[in-house]
Amino acid sequence: MASHGLAYDGCNFFRQRLVLSTLSGKRVKIKNIRSKDDNPGLRDFEASLIRLLDKVTNGSIIEINQTGTVLFYQPGLLYGGSVEHDCNLQRSVGYYLEALLMLAPFMKTSLKATLRGVTNDPRDPTVDMLKSTALPLMKKFGIDGEGFDLKVVKRGMAPGGGGEVVFTCPVRRTIRPVQLTDPAKIKRIRGVAYSVRVSPQMANRIVESARGVLNQFIPDIYIYTDHMKGANSGKSPGFGLTLVAETLNGSFLSAEMSSMPQGQGDPKLPEDLGRDCAKLLLEEVHRGGCVDSSNQSLALLLMTLGQQDVSKVLLGPLSPYTIEFLRHIRDFFQLMFKIEVQKPSEDERKGGDKVLMTCVGVGYSNINKTIK
Amino acid sequence: MDGKVKEQKRHQQKHSGPKAERKKLKKQEGSTEEDGRKRNPKAFSVQSAVRMAKTFHRSQDIKTKKHHIPHVDRTPLEPPPIVIVVVGPPKVGKSTLIRCLIKNFTRQKLGDICGPVTIVSGKKRRLTFMECNNDINTMIDLAKVADLVLMLIDASFGFEMETFEFLNICQVHGFPRIMGVLTHLDSFKNNKTLRKTKKNLKHRFWTEVYQGAKLFYLSGMVYGEYQIQEVKNLGRFISVMKFRPLVWQTSHPYVLVDRMEDLTDPERVRTDPKCDRTVSLYGYLRGTHLKNKGQVHIPGVGDFQVADVNFLPDPCALPEAQKKRALNEKERLLYAPMAGVGGVVYDKDAVYIDLPASHVNQQQEVRPTTELVQSLIDTHATLDAKMAASKVSLFSGSATLDSTDVGEHKEGPREECVWDPNTQRKRRKVVFTEKEEEDVSGSSDDDEDGDVDSEDGDQEEQEEDEDEDNLSTFLKDKVEGGKKRGEESAEVPAFADSEDDLEMSEEESEEEGENVREESGDDDDGEEEEDDKEESEDESMEEDDAAGATMKKQTASESEEEEEEQGKYCFYSILRFSCCSRHSALEFILLFPSTGGLRWKEGLQQKASEAFLRQQKAAPNLRKLVYGSVVEADDSDDEEQELGGLFRVSRPQNSKKSQANGVDSSRFDPDASHNWDLEEMLNSIRDCFVTGKWEEDQDAATLLKEDEELYGDFEDLETGKVHKGQTGEQDQAEVRLIYVEYLVKVDDDEVQKKKRLEKKQRLKERFNAEYDDEDATYFDDLKEEMQKQAELNRAEFADVDDETRVQYEGFRPGMYVRLEISSLPCEFVTNFDPHYPIILGGLGASEGNVGYLQMRLKKHRWYHRILKTRDPLILSLGWRRFQTIPLYHIEDHNGRHRLLKYTPQHMHCGASIWGPVTPQGTGFLAVQSVAGTKANFRIAATGVILDLDKSVTIVKKLKLIGYPYKIFKNTSFIKGMFNTVLEVAKFEGASVRTVSGVRGQIKKALSTPPGAYRATFEDRLLMSDVVFLRSWYPVSVPQLYNPVTSLLLPAGQKDSWAGMRTLGQLKHDLGIRNKPNTDSLYKPVVRAPRHFNRLHIPKELQKALPFKSKPKQQQPKGKTPRDLQRPSVIREPHEKKVAALLLALSTVHNHKRKKAHTAQHAKHKEFLQQKEKLEEAKLKRQKEARKKLYRIQGQVDQKKSRSSLKGAPQDD
Repeated sequence: MASHGLAYDGCNFFRQRLVLSTLSGKRVKIKNIRSKDDNPGLRDFEASLIRLLDKVTNGSIIEINQTGTVLFYQPGLLYGGSVEHDCNLQRSVGYYLEALLMLAPFMKTSLKATLRGVTNDPRDPTVDMLKSTALPLMKKFGIDGEGFDLKVVKRGMAPGGGGEVVFTCPVRRTIRPVQLTDPAKIKRIRGVAYSVRVSPQMANRIVESARGVLNQFIPDIYIYTDHMKGANSGKSPGFGLTLVAETLNGSFLSAEMSSMPQGQGDPKLPEDLGRDCAKLLLEEVHRGGCVDSSNQSLALLLMTLGQQDVSKVLLGPLSPYTIEFLRHIRDFFQLMFKIEVQKPSEDERKGGDKVLMTCVGVGYSNINKTIK
Repeated sequence: MDGKVKEQKRHQQKHSGPKAERKKLKKQEGSTEEDGRKRNPKAFSVQSAVRMAKTFHRSQDIKTKKHHIPHVDRTPLEPPPIVIVVVGPPKVGKSTLIRCLIKNFTRQKLGDICGPVTIVSGKKRRLTFMECNNDINTMIDLAKVADLVLMLIDASFGFEMETFEFLNICQVHGFPRIMGVLTHLDSFKNNKTLRKTKKNLKHRFWTEVYQGAKLFYLSGMVYGEYQIQEVKNLGRFISVMKFRPLVWQTSHPYVLVDRMEDLTDPERVRTDPKCDRTVSLYGYLRGTHLKNKGQVHIPGVGDFQVADVNFLPDPCALPEAQKKRALNEKERLLYAPMAGVGGVVYDKDAVYIDLPASHVNQQQEVRPTTELVQSLIDTHATLDAKMAASKVSLFSGSATLDSTDVGEHKEGPREECVWDPNTQRKRRKVVFTEKEEEDVSGSSDDDEDGDVDSEDGDQEEQEEDEDEDNLSTFLKDKVEGGKKRGEESAEVPAFADSEDDLEMSEEESEEEGENVREESGDDDDGEEEEDDKEESEDESMEEDDAAGATMKKQTASESEEEEEEQGKYCFYSILRFSCCSRHSALEFILLFPSTGGLRWKEGLQQKASEAFLRQQKAAPNLRKLVYGSVVEADDSDDEEQELGGLFRVSRPQNSKKSQANGVDSSRFDPDASHNWDLEEMLNSIRDCFVTGKWEEDQDAATLLKEDEELYGDFEDLETGKVHKGQTGEQDQAEVRLIYVEYLVKVDDDEVQKKKRLEKKQRLKERFNAEYDDEDATYFDDLKEEMQKQAELNRAEFADVDDETRVQYEGFRPGMYVRLEISSLPCEFVTNFDPHYPIILGGLGASEGNVGYLQMRLKKHRWYHRILKTRDPLILSLGWRRFQTIPLYHIEDHNGRHRLLKYTPQHMHCGASIWGPVTPQGTGFLAVQSVAGTKANFRIAATGVILDLDKSVTIVKKLKLIGYPYKIFKNTSFIKGMFNTVLEVAKFEGASVRTVSGVRGQIKKALSTPPGAYRATFEDRLLMSDVVFLRSWYPVSVPQLYNPVTSLLLPAGQKDSWAGMRTLGQLKHDLGIRNKPNTDSLYKPVVRAPRHFNRLHIPKELQKALPFKSKPKQQQPKGKTPRDLQRPSVIREPHEKKVAALLLALSTVHNHKRKKAHTAQHAKHKEFLQQKEKLEEAKLKRQKEARKKLYRIQGQVDQKKSRSSLKGAPQDD
């Protein structure tokens, strides 16, 4: 008598579907995964994600057809505990971590996940960014306390990888509703400029150029340089920058950029990288909102899973990923958000349009957590 | 004591002197505790710090104990009717009570109480009465939905089992308010017994519910009804009662169904009477918000997917706000469709509206039921709503017509405002359902020329005309559009033309979109064309040429499409559209008065414009972008055409497909149009930083000024100067602006108002912070936070209309909803019995799944036997009732779950079942069977859910036994424990033990006898030793989940559901008896005679022994020597005779002697008796004599003493 399932086409938004399926307990069937492609079926990194899900759940049923173009997933219960996973090198750890961030508060026992692989690459949100934006965001929803941490043990750049991240998260029974309608003003900018297996001077060069751009706005800028050596430096050379702007109300906007992986594309000068990254941060500030663009879906998910109260969050323009996420939330939880566009007034100089997302939570309670 | 009391000297108050003065002073000032403290500080000082801490702790403890965890108050503004369940054993007077209460509230009489009866009891309260029959299924179901339980008790009989069963059910599923009602009190003739019974029953009731629970007495009957005054009092109690929220009820939506209709196609039913039915169920939604397309459980039937939900006008609405205290007759509504009241009579496949002949003829004569019909018809629902809510059979025996036959549209035809460019006026387009639209389009060829505007005709006619008129223009447009846009592809995203859809209300536009899309691709174009037309009017300020606008619009939509192909959603462009449409909207409104002419349309225009503005505010543009495009996905599927029935048109992968396999990344690529080297771009975000300009209300300068305002006005006392805070300047400037710009005025006014309000709020907060928060605790803060959240919840969607609101927050409790459920079993309809409650319990996320549940369980203390593992048990958990097979277990000290064969007698134990996923902390109860009624208490166990999982960890003890077959020093070879080498390999290193307690370890498998192994022990074994290995064997929980489908049983047999039988029942029914263990049987005891060997002492030893210990008679006697042997005497016949004679004589003698002896004995006895008698007599005589003597002596003594008392003897 399991509840009815949902069917989707194509492998895009693969993570969203699996994560929401796991949380809602609804089965999901994904068809036509790259069926017209020369190399059809699931990629290795997707298979790796499925394996990770299998590790943190108990009783999941996963069926994949011979060519890998059809996936059937019947979620089990989130188990948690101590998990070690070697992430596929095609995608960075951020890809896997984003899924875990959504699942971790709803496990049976608190999660301690050790993920190995590429920690920083240009395609996914890097570990540093998630650490500096996603964790404070989750704290606003009441996911807090001892052992809520994300630690970068080793840094591994694409394509070689070799990084290691430890993510620990306590479990919660319910999620608090939030009212994040006022982002307030940015009071400081922090950042991490990292470099591995290259000259430590690279990081300093990045910092210099990034400061040059940002100093026009605010003097309180501090960018740490993080140069990892030896065993902690992974297998490939590279460098990059993560910038975080913190507002008075404790919301975080971030931007990041990392060097192209070795042997792919044109190499970039550290100065250019720093400058471009700073501009990205300005872009992010222009978008604005209380949640930065890559964490929109996480915030919306936690709002959805809150108690049956009104939650409000002010976001910048919705990213395509978020838009699809909203649709998926409607599919899995029958919940629609009230979307209001807030236009800046004439004389205000606060960037572009904002979107106020309002919803009534579904009253989700963590059914995995044991009571004694 | 003498009565005279010596008078004491009175106190003389001093009237002068220092003492008197001191006293006077004291009197004047008046002493207080403060003074005491000052005067005598030692008396008030801390004597003992420990005691002080203790008293403090205690007072704090008492204070904190009063606190409950604060909850967010989520009760809706208009709450659903309160469910009052009337429970009691049969013949106790349940129906009579309900009838009396209904009569009390509504002045109406009800015959048979079928199903829930809803009434309006007061200005703010509605009640739903439901009678609970004696079936345990019903009792369980109703206990879950009840707000108030009226528990009827037959006082002449006392408590019955059902009462206690119901109370226990309530305890498990959250305790609703319970009020006891004693009936049959008139059967007591004796007043004293009556009082005693009342008291006894009351106290028993109190122990079950709570001390001081209300118990109501209904003293007697008058003409078959309870006394009016008593019923009135009971009604008052009910209508002022307060309720506390129950956890399960407040976290799940549920509906107590008060109306059911079968929507299945009659033709299908005719051809296949057993086909699954589509049924619509009606009732008030309670609990929490219900989401559309959710999953529900119907207790007694099963789990179902809700096909559709919609809300209907309230059939039993509360009266509008008024000043009056009481309700008038018209407002005392009664709604009970199942009971056949409200003019709606329930039948198997139809509902008949009952209009008595008297009502038709003369409206004045108001009878209760007809009055209700009247009120229903007149005031509370429009015609279309009623259409939706009822079925009518025109002719007896014909198929019924109902709203669903008309289509999916619940509300019948809708109106929509359309701007007609030909006639230069606004028209109401009637948007019908798909079917009707098709019909109209079919017939439109004939009526095309019937385009007449008959304004003086009646309204419906006009509507029709309008429709046709519109349709013709629509068709024309379609042709044109087809020409114009020949080359354009059929697929256009919905949000490309989203702007003009704003005029329609949300749902209308969506529905229309769907309808049109379902017709064909060409229609799609036409529709769009029409929309474009409208839009061109909207934008008439910019350009008059409609075609031009259309072209422009097309290009816009094309560009949209391109962008979508790139895998991006053009979000910004849409925002731009929405902002320019605001201007056009204003224009749109201004245009209307000038067009004029049609009076009946004026209201509509205003309404339309209002609706438009409201929609505008809600900005569904982005919403449409997010949620509207799903329709497209269906569309693309439909478009696949077939060629010649064999080949499918293969289209090149469009944008959607390529996007479907795109890169899955949450990164949001920046907008390429922003160049962050430009100064203006940089300037656009200046204010986002603390270094930028601040808002007026947060700016440091403003804040300072505000402070000045607050504390600004003061008069300098020394100089006499009056300082005044600067106010109003800014306001004046803005007021001037308002005069200049008329349109802006409204906005600014509001802004000002808002500002003032905000300022007030801030001041108030500041004040509160200063004066109230001194003793604010964490609890207060929490409470305040909850209060704020509750206010926010109420305010957020308060001004949104219901249809939109429902989409955001779901159907809210208090709404009258209609749920459509497809594929219900046919028995549900055919065996429908309105006396049984139908409950739709909403299920939360993943509560529809099954898994293993771990629970804490305790056998009920009144259940007379313990429960056996693996015996099926019927559980009531969440909404569900189901049969399952539990395994009982107990947790060992190391966390191991050890299987138990039976539940402990008076202790909690664990239980694991395979069942529906239910949140932890939910209570459950278990019964062995739900069939029939039994004399005993039926609730077997109660408990709570602890954990959910997809696997179980119950183990049972397993001992493997082996025997040594070869023994070395400490090493032995053991066989018989395992069968293969592999098995041994798995247990290498395991510890083993012998019965005698010698411990050892398995070392390695041996090859020769398969399964034998080498083991070492701490001591040498014996061949007779038994070696065993203690291990734990995992037990699997049987996967039985069997919902109790009692509602599907035929009427009258609904309480006879029987599921899987227990082992004991099976054996009993089949007459199987256990074969007893032969060893346990009693057999006749056969004891072999015991044979003891003689003690043999060696001769040497014998010699050494002292004589005393030497065995004496040990040796056999040997043969007597011949010389010692005596010859045997053989008597002669004569001697024999002599001997016989002697014997005879001696016998006679003996006899004589014996006789004499007895005689002697008797004589002696007699003598003794005689003697005793004599003795007695003697004693008696002596006693008498002594008595006499004593008396004399006593008299003498008395005399003596008397004389001595008298004084000196005279004669001595």
